[in-house]
This record gives sequence, C-alpha cells and structure tokens, in this order.
Amino acid sequence: MNGHPTRPEDFDLYALGVLEGEEKAAFEAHVPTCAACAEKLAEARGRIALLAFAAPRVEPSPAVKERLMRQIHSAPEGARLQQRERATREVERAVGPFPRWWPAAVLAAAAAVLILVSVRLWQENAHLADELGEERATLQQQQAQLDEALHVVALMEAKDTISVALASQPGMAKGAVRVMYNAKMGMAMCDGWVDPAPANKSYQLWLVPKDGKPISAGVIEPSNGPINPWTMKLPPGVAAKAFAITLEPEGGMPQPTGPMVLVGPVS
Amino acid sequence: MSTSDAALIQKIVQRDESALAALYDRYASLLSSVLNRILRDTQAAEEILQDVFFQLWRNAAQFDPGRGSLPGWLVVIARNRAISRLRRHNPSEGEELLETSVIVPSNLESAVVQQQLLGRVKGALENLSADQRAAIELAYFEGLTHSEIATRTGDPLGTVKTRIRTAVESLKRTLSP
Repeated sequence: MNGHPTRPEDFDLYALGVLEGEEKAAFEAHVPTCAACAEKLAEARGRIALLAFAAPRVEPSPAVKERLMRQIHSAPEGARLQQRERATREVERAVGPFPRWWPAAVLAAAAAVLILVSVRLWQENAHLADELGEERATLQQQQAQLDEALHVVALMEAKDTISVALASQPGMAKGAVRVMYNAKMGMAMCDGWVDPAPANKSYQLWLVPKDGKPISAGVIEPSNGPINPWTMKLPPGVAAKAFAITLEPEGGMPQPTGPMVLVGPVS
Repeated sequence: MSTSDAALIQKIVQRDESALAALYDRYASLLSSVLNRILRDTQAAEEILQDVFFQLWRNAAQFDPGRGSLPGWLVVIARNRAISRLRRHNPSEGEELLETSVIVPSNLESAVVQQQLLGRVKGALENLSADQRAAIELAYFEGLTHSEIATRTGDPLGTVKTRIRTAVESLKRTLSP
C-alpha cells in the first residue's frame, strides 16, 4: 500500500489494532501525510471506541476520585509551584544555598521569610481599603508563604523530628537527599540533589511505613540537579521505616512502580 | 443544562479542580468498565483510571475539542494503556496519543445518550456471528492482532482476517449515524 488504503474498513482495522507487519507499516507511513486519511482514521477510532460500551459496567471505587483530587492538589505545578519557587528564592536570597547550612539556615531563612512576609502583609493591609478585591489574592498567597514558613519553624524546633539521609542505590542515578520528618505533625521537608531523570520520567518521594503500603510524599521538582526544598503534609501518626525515591512515569503514580533510586532507612 | 466538555476543558486549563471532578463524574464509569474488562484486575484498572485523568489535568491545554471528542480520546488512551500493561509494552507509548484525534459519531456528554449507545453497541455485537463477536472481543479487549487471534482460536489466518473485516463492516454500518 503506497497510497490511500484500498478499502474503507482498513481504517477501522487499524483502529482496532489487528493490522501487523507490512500492512501496519504502510498504513502508518501514509496516514500522517494525508489529511483526508487522518480524518477517516479519527472517525474510525471513534467508532471503535464505542466498543467500550460492550464492557460490563464496573463503577470505580470512590477512593479513586479522592486520590485523584489529592494528587492534583499536591502536584507541584501552576500557582502552587510558582508560590513555592518564590518562597525558595526569598530563602536563598536571605541565607544562600539551603543544603549546606542545614538546619540552622532553615531557621534563619524561615525567620527571614517570616519577617519579609509580615512586613509585606502590613504594607498590603494599608492598601486594602482602596484595592480590596485585587489585593485579596495577593494576601492569600502571602498568607500561604507565612504558613509554610511557620510550618518549617515548627518542624525544625520539634524535638521528635527525625533526619533521614537517603543514599543512591548501586547502579542507579547519583544523588544525596535529606528528609526531616515528624510523624506526630504529619509533616516532612526534603532537600538535596539528584542526577537528571530520563525523559518522560519523574522522581517521586515515598514514606515507607512500618505497616502498610508506601505513601506518596510528592513528585520532586525539578527532576534533576538541586531540589527546591519543600515541605509536605502526610497522614499524621505514621511510623516510618524508611524514605525512598523511585523513578516513575512523568507526574508520579499512586503506588511505586519503578526502581528505587535512593533509600534512607529510619534508624 | 450541564456544562459542555469543551467548557470544562477550558476551566481545567485555568486550574479549576471542580471541572476535572465534573469530567471524572461524567466518564469515569465508562473508563472503569473498559479497564476492568481488559485487565481483570481492579487495582490495576483504578491506577490507570486515575493516571488518565491526571494526564488530562496536566495536558488539558493540548486537547483541542474542535478536533475530536473528549470521551473518545479518554477511551483510546485508557485502552491503549491497559493493553500496554497487559502485554508488558512500554507504557510511555500512550503519551503519543496526546495528539490523537478521535471523532465519535455521537455526543457522549449526556448520560441518556450514553445509555442509548450502550444498547446500540450491544445490539450491534449481537448481530454478529459468535465467531465474529469473539474475534472482535479478542482484538478490542485483549489487544490481539490478526495472527495472534488465529493462533489463539486455531483458525487459518485468512479466515480470521475475513471474519474480522466482515464484522467491522457490519459494526460500521450499525454504529454510524
């Protein structure tokens, strides 16, 4: 087949996935170059997709939607990412690179952010009378930064906060990551660095409990080089056996599926 | 009147979580059904279901409602990923489908239309012979090719090809608007 598919149902056969070998290769070589055939293939895909209705009805567990909404809520993207990056930049401006001066730097940085944000809040309050609507969003962002700074201070000051060093596994990407974790508060903080992740992959941090399945602590952004220090909320009261970083499909997974890249047991 | 898929996609692009929840409520049941039929593993089906909607959240800006049907696209992505897992192919193949255009001959946004289609599809399959129906199901729900179906059923390859071509012609006549 050097030109258009000879028979109309060829499009449906391709969409169904039964073509193979030369038939399939010839189809795939032609269709991307022909708008009319691409349109016919789109229609065939739609017809074949309707076969999904032949499957016996299985309602998903309500837990799937809950996990999905938690996942998108914790995804480090968009405004949340910008907010965190902004807070990180302020910390770095105040005290320099985070990892080397751990943990005193964190306290100093948190205090600096606290002061900066407090001053900003005070200044913004003066304008609120005139620009209340517009400033409300800014105020909420700054409040979030303030909350995060307060959480950092609380985590660092708590006597039962533990520090876990994660080391590279043999044959895996190099990196050094440290996690500060407080089980009672259900809170952790992470920083360090790791070699670049392969294309379309993400590093994901996991709390490995003494009992039960691993709990996602979030996808690491960026996926290479120094990690932006970030705090994360976890279910409170979970006794940790270890923390681990795995290589997952881009965006992370509900449960680990890829190899362990770094691991740190809780001593 | 419910919000259209196109409007909900636009809201997702603007990071409106409730829009994603609305699309999930609209299509999760259909996707869950096809995933469970392919994988016969509830946990694996739920992982892919969550992953497909998460990819929609991340890549909504790349989806052009003018070029195709969202539920058609979701079904194609979900089936592709489930079959990839079943056959232990590289799951990243599904990412290429972000640019796939899927034109469904009906508007699936309404639950009533979905219910009507369910009846039409089941009727269309019942019109096929038992051999034709079995071959179509092996292809669609197990991801088998012509020669793999011939191996599975023990029938000659030519017979299988003719059987599936005839079945597809019949389905096309019945399911086209």
